[in-house]
Amino acid sequence: MTRDEERQDGPEEEREGNADEPAREEPVGQEPSPEEPTAEGPTAATPPEPAPEDPRASQDPPPPPPPDQAPTQPLGPEPRRLLRSRSNRVIGGVCGGLGRYFNVDPILFRIGAIALALVGGAGVLLYLAALVLIPNETQGAAAQPPAEGRSRALTIAVVVLVLLVAWPFLLGGGVIAAAVLFPLAFLVAAGVLVWWIVSGEGPSGDAGDIARRAALGIGVLILCGVIALGGAWAAAAGGGIVVGVVVVASGLAILAGAFLKPVRWLILPAVTLALSAGAVAAAGIDLDGGVGDKTYRPASAIDLRDRYELGIGELEIDLRDTDLPAGDRPLRLDVGVGEARVIVPEDVCVVTDADVGLGAVRVFERDTGGIDVGVLDEPDASPDTTRLMVNADVGVGALSVVHDPADFDYGGPGRDFDGGLEEPFPGDGNAACLDTGARANG
Amino acid sequence: MPVRTDRPDVPSIVAGIAVLALGAVLLLDETGVIELSFGLLAPVACAAAGAILLASGLARRT
Repeated sequence: MTRDEERQDGPEEEREGNADEPAREEPVGQEPSPEEPTAEGPTAATPPEPAPEDPRASQDPPPPPPPDQAPTQPLGPEPRRLLRSRSNRVIGGVCGGLGRYFNVDPILFRIGAIALALVGGAGVLLYLAALVLIPNETQGAAAQPPAEGRSRALTIAVVVLVLLVAWPFLLGGGVIAAAVLFPLAFLVAAGVLVWWIVSGEGPSGDAGDIARRAALGIGVLILCGVIALGGAWAAAAGGGIVVGVVVVASGLAILAGAFLKPVRWLILPAVTLALSAGAVAAAGIDLDGGVGDKTYRPASAIDLRDRYELGIGELEIDLRDTDLPAGDRPLRLDVGVGEARVIVPEDVCVVTDADVGLGAVRVFERDTGGIDVGVLDEPDASPDTTRLMVNADVGVGALSVVHDPADFDYGGPGRDFDGGLEEPFPGDGNAACLDTGARANG
Repeated sequence: MPVRTDRPDVPSIVAGIAVLALGAVLLLDETGVIELSFGLLAPVACAAAGAILLASGLARRT
């Protein structure tokens, strides 16, 4: 029995309960009150039953098509969109969507993606990027069949043959593409993530939305980078108090904005400024003393200054030809970012008191490193021996004390200061001392 | 009962307090009250960033 036959022959109750009719949701056991307007308007409250003698009762308008047939109706031309296929997918439907968009067999894109994945990994990146950027096909969208009229086997054979011939070119191109795409993909991901944190707009939407959010996030990253560099430079140049006041003012503005008008865009720059200045302060970086490499070779104890400073660079103090009298001789070194190098004769005992924010301390054969590195090594010496009291403060970098400049390039492991050495061990380099009381933390 | 729309922005409150704390640490270091090191800065920074992200995430959920 067809639906029309049911509609014409069945009783009224069966017609109202036909499953093909669009259901009207009403509370069970309750009749809609005629006085209560419904969503369909006041006329919907009246029973739609026609009079039995009305000849139009058997000429009801055709029922609306069932939902599964609705998309088949012509709805006018729609713009062709690139969507990930739901019906023709192996992983994410990217190649199926591309095949439908370009009206070619998706196997072509699959072979190309695999080939690019094998020759440098660009295929993986491209696929992941497409997986993120190309929106998924909606549930109700119709899947178009793949291109017809061509032999799939023949197509695969031709494509494989072309790939075999072009393999060397693809290898180079894939490596180059991967070298470009890896940083690009990382940058886009970082931009989307930053913009997600700043604005709350997650990585959803179409490709245009993703690109816009990535661009805005990259812009925020660049802005924060500039702020970080500026804040670090200002703090290292002696403007730490100013930077601290700016950070506090930013915090007050954000706090006041919470009650008046939120200024969330200020949060990330303020935190960036605070952390960059804080890192400079924690490392103890001081740009006093200038920038560049400096080397000093004092001829006598009179030429040897008590203090040497350098902001950024390599500071080298060469004492091999310096006439140093017996007794204690202070040497203060301040380096912001870089390395402080001291070259001493074999007959000089070296006392080390060093603080390195981030880096390493190497004194002859012993070394240590890490963050917040502190070394205190105070060996005794006989009265007729020169004892050099090295007091070094390095922000980011290293302090190196050697007998031979060639040892600066030595990259092998030394004996750690944390070994609790009470006596100088053979070959520790500080042989002019009587003993050693090294203390270090790092 | 009407819903109040002038409630303070909780993530901004948390972020403001966190930034204020970071600024206070900077000023205390500059004035010599404390000696800032990476061992002190790292937990302070992580706590500030974590509080901001947590407040933002919870506000987004509600």
